[in-house]
Amino acid sequence: MVNLNSVPPKNGQCYLALGLEGSANKLGVGIIKHPFLSKHENSDLSHYCEMEILSNIRDTYVTPPGEGFLPRDTARHHRNWVVRLVRRALQEANVSDPSQLDTICFTKGPGMGAPLHSVVILARTLSIMWDVPLVGVNHCVGHIEMGREITKAENPVVLYVSGGNTQVIAYSENCYRIFGETLDIAIGNCLDRFARTLKIPNEPSPGFNIEQLAKKSLNKQDLVELPYTVKGMDLSMSGILGYVDSLAKDLFNKNTKNKILFDPKTGEQLVTVEDICYSLQENLFAMLVEITERAMAHVNSNQVLIVGGVGCNVRLQEMMATMCRDRSNGQVHATDERFCIDNGVMIAQAGLLQFRMGNVVKDLSETVVTQKFRTDEVYVAWRE
Amino acid sequence: MSKEVIEQVVTYLTPNVPIVPISQGAEAFVFTTNVHPYNASACKTAGDIPVKYIIKYRPPKKYRHPSIDKTLTKHRTLSESRILAKLSQVPGLHVPKLIACDVYNGCIWIEFIGEDLPESHGFSNLKNFLWMYKTDPYNIAVEKVLFKVGEQIGLLHWNDYCHGDLTTSNLVLHQENGDWSPYLIDFGLGSASTLVEDKGVDLYVLERAIISTHSKFADKYNEWILMGFKSVYENEGKKGQQKLKDVIKRFEEVRLRGRKRSMLG
Repeated sequence: MVNLNSVPPKNGQCYLALGLEGSANKLGVGIIKHPFLSKHENSDLSHYCEMEILSNIRDTYVTPPGEGFLPRDTARHHRNWVVRLVRRALQEANVSDPSQLDTICFTKGPGMGAPLHSVVILARTLSIMWDVPLVGVNHCVGHIEMGREITKAENPVVLYVSGGNTQVIAYSENCYRIFGETLDIAIGNCLDRFARTLKIPNEPSPGFNIEQLAKKSLNKQDLVELPYTVKGMDLSMSGILGYVDSLAKDLFNKNTKNKILFDPKTGEQLVTVEDICYSLQENLFAMLVEITERAMAHVNSNQVLIVGGVGCNVRLQEMMATMCRDRSNGQVHATDERFCIDNGVMIAQAGLLQFRMGNVVKDLSETVVTQKFRTDEVYVAWRE
Repeated sequence: MSKEVIEQVVTYLTPNVPIVPISQGAEAFVFTTNVHPYNASACKTAGDIPVKYIIKYRPPKKYRHPSIDKTLTKHRTLSESRILAKLSQVPGLHVPKLIACDVYNGCIWIEFIGEDLPESHGFSNLKNFLWMYKTDPYNIAVEKVLFKVGEQIGLLHWNDYCHGDLTTSNLVLHQENGDWSPYLIDFGLGSASTLVEDKGVDLYVLERAIISTHSKFADKYNEWILMGFKSVYENEGKKGQQKLKDVIKRFEEVRLRGRKRSMLG
């Protein structure tokens, strides 16, 4: 049994937490409320906090087509916007006196160094200004806790897929253990970089645009054959990216020597950009679903929770659902873009759980952010 | 176990082949049957023990594109059958015999290995065997079996094959003249490999499996396995000694590495 009420809220009725997220190109600020209930005193209800979202604001740094976001420019974007976003979030949440807040949560890592730094500086400042304790949160744990609270999945196998991470995670003994992960680049990174090669817009997100292109593929029966690189519980994606990149380049340069893309006799084009996008998605997602299924068989679970930016992809959710239907009582839990994509609310949710277990920053020297911070390094005190 | 898949298997095998489901992994379903696919005389009962065969079936996965599914099923079934066929020719190495395979339908027919342990301790894989001896963990019988397990893995690696998924449930014990002799099963992730890395990882995976299920006695158990492993290489003269040194060195490196590192896209 876990006591989530070990630290009482300031106003005696509910907890208020502000979450600041800026580990990549999204800057998110969120304010949430947890009611102070006696049932949380002695139970295992960390996925049932009755969280209320008071505000959830996000601003994304979008780069022109063909370009990725660089740490320096992203950090500048965050510095420019973060004060405005916090003001708006407080206003929307109707928090007139910010010193009412119980805690301010920030992303401690993993992520890009410069953007993390620019956000944590604000977190420290606010903490001193308003005299509110800080909580440093692992970004991945933030995604997991958010997903659990929104979908009410009690103990799922978590597939965490985003621009910087690809992991299959399951909980055991106060730790989110990583069962399988990528050996090189993350799936979102693979999709983003392919989008750059195709020079398609980064607005609203490169992965979303690839998904739309894939839907338009007219030749869904014949896939372009791509490498299938599952290695036990892990996977590798850099080779696939290199291969599709070379295909796309041949297509743009009208390299008729490529027999996969052009008919060797007539020179007629056989494959379109849409077909490559479709094949890429089918191939990558089949790999993800396979390692998830393996982890489920391993830990004897029948629930899956998909979190992270790539988790909004409808095709991925569809494939996962098909896989679960073949397992007895299988269930898929997924959320929409408000919660899947990095946001401040998820940091606030995981941070508030930590706060309620009495785990707060005691000295500002503990607020150093880190680019490398593994999911399994966090001691999960709020679960049994 | 999914009803639909069992129906698929029954339609594929026709009602002439009765099947009993025994386990479901992430990738394959395992059944037993008493029918031999092409040798009618082998279907008869030998004495009073009924003859059994294993059918391993990889069902088509509906979530993935049919063309990906077809290639994968074919590739994996074929590679598993190939490895089994090759390994059964290695003298001294115990693997179940391959009887038949249909790579396009993802079906393999193999010899049944193992029996039920006495006093309802379950099927005779190494895991249950070690549980059976948990009150007398350092019995000479345990030492003998674990030494032989080490020998089997040593032979496998000496012949440049890797198992890929060595766990205590993938080692089945078969009684021969009152002695237990271990068989390696499930080569779904197996490969032919000359790399020390793969061998080191194999040893590490087994060590982890023993620690996680039989943690109290794991040190001694792993020591016995390693003794058996080393004995194979040491019998091969100078060349064997050198190779053994490489494998053990890499094994220790893999152990230190802890496999997982920080990940950033």
